[in-house]
Amino acid sequence: MTAAPLPRRSSLPAAWWGMSILIASEGMLFGCLIATYFYLRFKNPAWPPDGIPAPRLVVPLVLTACLATTSAPMQLALAAVRAGRVATARLFLVAALVVQCGYFAYEVHDFHDQLGKVDITRDAYSSIYYTLLGADHGHVFLGILFNLWLLGKLARGLTRYRANATLAITWYWHFVNVLTIVVVGTLLSARA
Amino acid sequence: MAVAAPPSTAAAERLDRLERMWRSRPGLLGWLTTTDHKRIGLLYFWTTLVFFGAGGVEALVMRTQLAQPNERLVGPSTYDQLFSMHGITMIFLFIIPMTTGAFGNYLIPLMIGARDMAFPRVNALSYWIFVSSGIFMYVALFMGTAPNAGWFDYVPLASRQFDPGRNIDFYCLGIIFNSLASTLTAGLFIVTILKSRAPGMSLNRLPLFCFAMFAAAIGLLFALPALSVDTIFLFLDRNVGTHFFDVAHGGTALLWQNLFWFFGHPEVYILIVPAFGIATSIIPAFTQRKMVAFPLVAVAELLVVFIGFGVWAHHMFATGLPTVALVFFAGASALVVIPSTIQVFSWLMSFVTGSARFNTPLLFIAGFIFMFVTGGLTGIMFVAVPFDQQVTDTYFVIAHFHYIIFGAAVFPIFGGMYYWFPKITGRMYFERPGQISFWTIFVGTNLLFFPMHILGLLGMTRREYTYPAGLGWGPYNLAETIGAFLTTAGILLLFGNLVASYLRGEPAGADPWHGPTLEWTTTSPPPDYNYVVIPKVTSAYPNWDAADREEDRRKLRDGVLVLEQGHEQVEVTPADGWLSEIVEMPHSSPWPPLLALSLALVFTMLLIEKFEIAGIMGILCLLTLLGWHSTEPQEA
Repeated sequence: MTAAPLPRRSSLPAAWWGMSILIASEGMLFGCLIATYFYLRFKNPAWPPDGIPAPRLVVPLVLTACLATTSAPMQLALAAVRAGRVATARLFLVAALVVQCGYFAYEVHDFHDQLGKVDITRDAYSSIYYTLLGADHGHVFLGILFNLWLLGKLARGLTRYRANATLAITWYWHFVNVLTIVVVGTLLSARA
Repeated sequence: MAVAAPPSTAAAERLDRLERMWRSRPGLLGWLTTTDHKRIGLLYFWTTLVFFGAGGVEALVMRTQLAQPNERLVGPSTYDQLFSMHGITMIFLFIIPMTTGAFGNYLIPLMIGARDMAFPRVNALSYWIFVSSGIFMYVALFMGTAPNAGWFDYVPLASRQFDPGRNIDFYCLGIIFNSLASTLTAGLFIVTILKSRAPGMSLNRLPLFCFAMFAAAIGLLFALPALSVDTIFLFLDRNVGTHFFDVAHGGTALLWQNLFWFFGHPEVYILIVPAFGIATSIIPAFTQRKMVAFPLVAVAELLVVFIGFGVWAHHMFATGLPTVALVFFAGASALVVIPSTIQVFSWLMSFVTGSARFNTPLLFIAGFIFMFVTGGLTGIMFVAVPFDQQVTDTYFVIAHFHYIIFGAAVFPIFGGMYYWFPKITGRMYFERPGQISFWTIFVGTNLLFFPMHILGLLGMTRREYTYPAGLGWGPYNLAETIGAFLTTAGILLLFGNLVASYLRGEPAGADPWHGPTLEWTTTSPPPDYNYVVIPKVTSAYPNWDAADREEDRRKLRDGVLVLEQGHEQVEVTPADGWLSEIVEMPHSSPWPPLLALSLALVFTMLLIEKFEIAGIMGILCLLTLLGWHSTEPQEA
């Protein structure tokens, strides 16, 4: 006595919506950080204050561009998962992960380096500079953890749960890449 | 749909399987690991009541202190902690978790015909984080180092220089910790309302209660990050040595106020919009008519929150903002009148054109409308900048926001307690003591809050721990204190009534009010799986659609959307409510309380400035998350 299957329409899974909620919340968080950056800037006569060098231009831009390109392998990994090709998906994920880890390693080193020259406790400029940059690095790190976890999951084959996870994590990485561009752009605006 | 005698053996077998699939684990362990939205809602309810009691006692101590001039029941430093904790408790530990955590959790899945939230384990996590954050802040009170710079904690008063103890660190960390819980709940509500509705429930058939919860959730989601950023800045300023709020090093104290009120004003609407939702649930049931102007009310609920994001600086009219900013924010604040009035007229018209039965729940809603309009009228007065500058930080402001927060947010909470009591316990409350409790609370609160207007105009400023004689303030203050104790008596009568009704009340049956929404179609209390079949929905008042309920009974017989093969729920398209997928839901899980515990350790270590150990505890959190995600729902 089983009835005929009910008509269905495909739509994005709850997992995608859950990640969108995280993105909305984190986007708002960064919105507040960036608003603070400009609020403090317009309260200060000199920005960056005298004695602090303007942020470097070329290295951050090149690195950000490298990070942004990882959106492509992430999207390809998602496409592979949708087509059921787990091995290909893992390969793309590893490719993205290599660039992301390289970016993160350099940035952590550089962050440490800069702190040695100008401390976070110097003034309002250094406070927001390191807080904003550090928060962005934290989100890159979280993305790396997501990807490592996803690789571990995909090593044992494909389920709908894992496919949804790939969708959500890819979406997260697109967000982090855009976020990094906006954050770096904000910080570089001190040169203008 | 009380299926007392299943019509066929096939249906009986289906019911039997459903029972086994959704049965809760027994005993204490069952409550600790539960992911059932009804159980989590009840946990939220009891916990917030404890905090309500604590916040109430703080208020009574303050009122006793102020009853007469020159009283010295508590000293100034204790008084500072009392009013700070009273505000923090009532807002963060009572009203938000009561409306969203308790009412929202229990009712949203029932109203949309779902078996649980979209992310049941996240729901449990939210509760355990909430409890931990509440305990965290109350530990501070018992140690005598509770937050003491008011609930809005202005710098420079709250900076290390002027407040060197741990009081404000408890505030910063406690608030961030608490925001995590509210953010999780907000996200959960948004996704659940968009994805887990019964097929057929397109957005225009979504109950107004759920619209209100959706609006509050959107508000929480977008407002809380500003508070988190603000408290993180303050924590860094105090403990790391940054200079966000330090004018001597390029910072600015107004940054705190801007970020705080960017959160704080939407927050006010987050407190009150769920109360609108409760009102719009009770009114149709007791007037037996559909809500007047349903779509307008739905839009108005969303609009209130939306406008709420553009009015924050009206809390800062006395801080020396440029005139153009004053004018803009005064204008934006005046706009809030429009969606508020739409709702008031809609409620009143529903009263007038329906056949109103003034049982206790509707009495509380009528009281709510009175208090909301009174508080709203003083609200409009603040839009006039010169007036606002005169009464800023006086008791006039206290009167205004207590009319809104107690009158307009807490009255519907009480009304809702009576209204859904039969659904949750299966028993009727006692009507007469219920009505007496309403009148006691109504008279008590007006006696408590109305004289505050006069005191404010006479020049009594807020947060005075005592005042000299001879100012003419004594009689008003005494009246307020009497009102406070009268209100307390009314509240005790209310809870006494509910306890007695739980023990001795008449059986209520599934639908004592002939209510409009889906929760009245299932048994009281609802079974673990809420509905025997995922209900058919063709209007916003599904319990009044007899043909659809008849069809639900057929669906059980034919096995359509009974979903007895697993621990399953439907997902729909977000706008139109078309069936999209049938998904396997997680079972009870030990991970949410464990993760909340690890987070509590992180925050405790941050508090005592052991940053390395906090980092190690952070790794513990990640490991807990790893454990959480080791089992996929379909493997459980």
